[in-house]
Amino acid sequence: MTCNRILAYRLAVLFSLAAVWLASFGLQPALADEFDTLADRARGQTVYFNAWGGSPTVNGYIAWAGDQVKARYGITLVHVKLTDTADAVARILAEKTAGKTAGGSVDLVWVNGENFASLKRQNLLRDDEWAFSLPSFSFTDPAVLPGLTSDFATPTDGLESPWGRAQLVFGYDTAYVPRPPRSATALVDWLKQDGNQGRFTFPLPPDFTGTSFLKQVLLEVSPDRSVFDAPAPSDKAETDAALAPLWAWLDDVLPYLWREGRHYPANYTDMVRMLGDGEVAIAMAFNPSKFSNDISAGVLPDTVRTYIHDGGTLANVHFVAIPFNANASEGARVVADFLLSPEAQLRKANPDIWGDPTVLSMARLSADAAAAFAALPRGIATLSDAELSASLAEPHPSWVAVIERGWAARYAAN
Amino acid sequence: MTTANLRPLTACVPACILLAVLAPVLAGLIGAVLPATGWFPPLGGQRLSVVPLTAFLAEPGLARSVLLSIFTALTATALSYLLAMGLLAVLVGTGAAGRLVRLISPLLSVPHITIAVGFLFLLQPSGWLTRLISPWATGWDRPPLLNLVPDEAGWALIIGMVAKEVPFLLLMGLSAASQIDARRLLDEARLLGRGPLAAWALVVQPQLGRRLVLPVMIVLVFSVSVVDMALVLAPLTPAPLAVRILAWFRDPDLSFQFIAAVGALAQIGLAGLCCLVWAAAAHIWARAVRSVCARGWRLSVPYRMARAGHALLLAASVLPCLLAALGLASSLIWAFADIWRFPDALPTRWGLRGWALGGDGLVRAAVTSASLGLSAAAVSVLAALLWLETTTTARRTEGLMYLPLLIPQIAFLFGLQILLIWLGMDGRLVTLLWVHVVFVFPYVLLSLGPSWRRFDVRFADVAATLGAGPFARFWRVKLPILLIPLLTAFAVGFAVSQALYLPTIFASNGRVATLTTEAVTLAAGAGRQTLGAASALQMALPLMVFLGADFISRLRFRRFSWFRV
Repeated sequence: MTCNRILAYRLAVLFSLAAVWLASFGLQPALADEFDTLADRARGQTVYFNAWGGSPTVNGYIAWAGDQVKARYGITLVHVKLTDTADAVARILAEKTAGKTAGGSVDLVWVNGENFASLKRQNLLRDDEWAFSLPSFSFTDPAVLPGLTSDFATPTDGLESPWGRAQLVFGYDTAYVPRPPRSATALVDWLKQDGNQGRFTFPLPPDFTGTSFLKQVLLEVSPDRSVFDAPAPSDKAETDAALAPLWAWLDDVLPYLWREGRHYPANYTDMVRMLGDGEVAIAMAFNPSKFSNDISAGVLPDTVRTYIHDGGTLANVHFVAIPFNANASEGARVVADFLLSPEAQLRKANPDIWGDPTVLSMARLSADAAAAFAALPRGIATLSDAELSASLAEPHPSWVAVIERGWAARYAAN
Repeated sequence: MTTANLRPLTACVPACILLAVLAPVLAGLIGAVLPATGWFPPLGGQRLSVVPLTAFLAEPGLARSVLLSIFTALTATALSYLLAMGLLAVLVGTGAAGRLVRLISPLLSVPHITIAVGFLFLLQPSGWLTRLISPWATGWDRPPLLNLVPDEAGWALIIGMVAKEVPFLLLMGLSAASQIDARRLLDEARLLGRGPLAAWALVVQPQLGRRLVLPVMIVLVFSVSVVDMALVLAPLTPAPLAVRILAWFRDPDLSFQFIAAVGALAQIGLAGLCCLVWAAAAHIWARAVRSVCARGWRLSVPYRMARAGHALLLAASVLPCLLAALGLASSLIWAFADIWRFPDALPTRWGLRGWALGGDGLVRAAVTSASLGLSAAAVSVLAALLWLETTTTARRTEGLMYLPLLIPQIAFLFGLQILLIWLGMDGRLVTLLWVHVVFVFPYVLLSLGPSWRRFDVRFADVAATLGAGPFARFWRVKLPILLIPLLTAFAVGFAVSQALYLPTIFASNGRVATLTTEAVTLAAGAGRQTLGAASALQMALPLMVFLGADFISRLRFRRFSWFRV
């Protein structure tokens, strides 16, 4: 009986493996054919790509991608530079409000976390699992990088296509900081020392990096961080209790923050500039090679180096999504596929261009492509992959609003 | 063509213009009122409720945001008004007035965001001022930990707005002063033994003040709801109300749309409140002036003190403008700096990095800004001509034309956006042009109206007796005589279009980048070099238009030089 069951199980596994193997023959050409027809229909379309436009390096990369899709697919890519991705969310909503179910103004949007959760909740995205059917998606491995299909713990369900990876890193000026503080607690001690007072801050929440820093501290100082894997409870007393350690930490450091916590830089590029001026001694960014880039650009002195906290830092994946009413959804899918292609990912990962880590799995690339990634230059201030391996998973996105509102009420209202 | 044939035209044209200008405002207001009262079907709001209101009132730091808005707006407007009046009192009738206007009118043509960015470059702890005096005079080898720009109470924003509004009010004041013949009034008061300031305050100002009500209200409403300048210069913990409304509109949690709509209405209330406070203050002042006159009180000030007072006044009014000019200068330096680290007084390496990084984006934005500005100015001037030619005197309806300037922009732009999408007109260039004209036209009318209405009809009469028909009288007599005010109005219209931030992002769906929207994006953190390059372009464009207008008028008047006797 038992033997039979084991045999049946083995057979089942064997058959399904065979089926997958057979299907992969059929599937690949089918996918490719499908994509070719898609590319045909996309020819001549204009794709309005709504993406945060605050970084010249990112803008430069998107402009390059535009040239490429123009040459390869005859698609015109227009970068709509957003100050805040939520603008695009609001606009798509406004279009839904007005009953505009086709011919929308946003074709592709750079998104993740809270904005994605909001778009998904309001059914504002194209929902045919298009992202999983892109040919380039086969170069990724969600089993190795779960963030590819789970965006801040929200299942992507193929509503968005991965574009890049991010991890919170800190940059410090060795001229002023001999040994950087490698935890939230050490940061407080460092900040209280004479000469360091006033030389640290974070971007004004709800800026993405600013909120991320709050989440980082929260995860570090909470006795039980598993609370944050689940959605935030609706009971205010429970969330208050969960966030209490964060507020205690902030109350402690507030008098020692830059401008006593009365003002904050607008975002991380603003803060990195302050590091370059010497106004602060430590800054942070969600891109591990940001500091090396800025050293080579002359924005930062070459005495700047990076570090992460000993317990790991927040890491996540960012995506591109297509609104439900996109005017050029074929073009948008072709662009999303190109952005995920090894060639585009390689260029994006190059610290001289942008330095955004790839979402592709080296094991699934050709040997040549994998070698090209391995050969990428690493800036003088960029940590190695081994040093970056300590990472923290993002809390459930529903915590973002709770944290931001709590922060605003406590620190931005008086 | 007879006058009778023209009558339907004279009735129809003003009505059409009125509709084109007011329809977006009114439709936009309705689009704000409905969500504010809970009716917003796509988000599940199907019935009237007070939930949005209570949610709005529960927003943390709301009172402080409101107070900050009121304080900065009233202070900036009062300072701008007092300084402009003071300058007028000292300068009217002297040659210095014209020189000063020429000196500061470039400030008038530069967008608000450019002034704000200049302030940032100049006054930050790591700004040009501290760089100039560090480390040799201060010992600072790192930027000092000072609360400069933005400061707690919003003074950076106030001074920034003053730098922008003093030239505007001065220009409006000069035009009004020539209408009431301020020089003669002043002379008569001086003959009765009043000092220049007293003569001004007691005799000229009461008359002038009435004529400046509209410009002052425009300044007040603009100041209380300014967003682009506030994003750069105002404290953001919490931010002024208008900035927070925009943030609510942009919140990924879409339920904030309701709160934003209530905020939009509250913004109108705030603007109304500021106007009331202003009117009350003006009323008290007028009564005080009357009683001083009635009782014949006079204050004798020693001559030397009066001179010192004048000098102080001049300095006080020139200081914000001087700071603005220095700020613009530091923007220009950044535009051509490759490496400029603290505390170097000047870049250690000059170059075009900012332009290279800004790349095509900057060029495209500049082209968009220029073509949008030129078309908006042209359409507005044309509409203003039609309006002025078809309405004989300043009609009461003319006041309605200024409504878009007297209602805070953010209060109706969101509602308008929904309407435009519904009409399928969103994101089109023609829509953007229309929305720009809604804001540009009133300024053009404000600039052109007075000189047009003062046209001496005897010129036209003489031409008529020589057999010229109505169109010939217009083309060959009136237009050439009024060419300079016409060109000025065009340049003003161009400058206004350049500066528009909220109308551009709302009407274009954020798809169309102008230099101003680009600068606001860049000011939130991009390299200072690129921001400097954007600022340089923002200075260059209006300057070119003003120079062009000047060139055309010179060309014109060389031909007519025999006419000037």
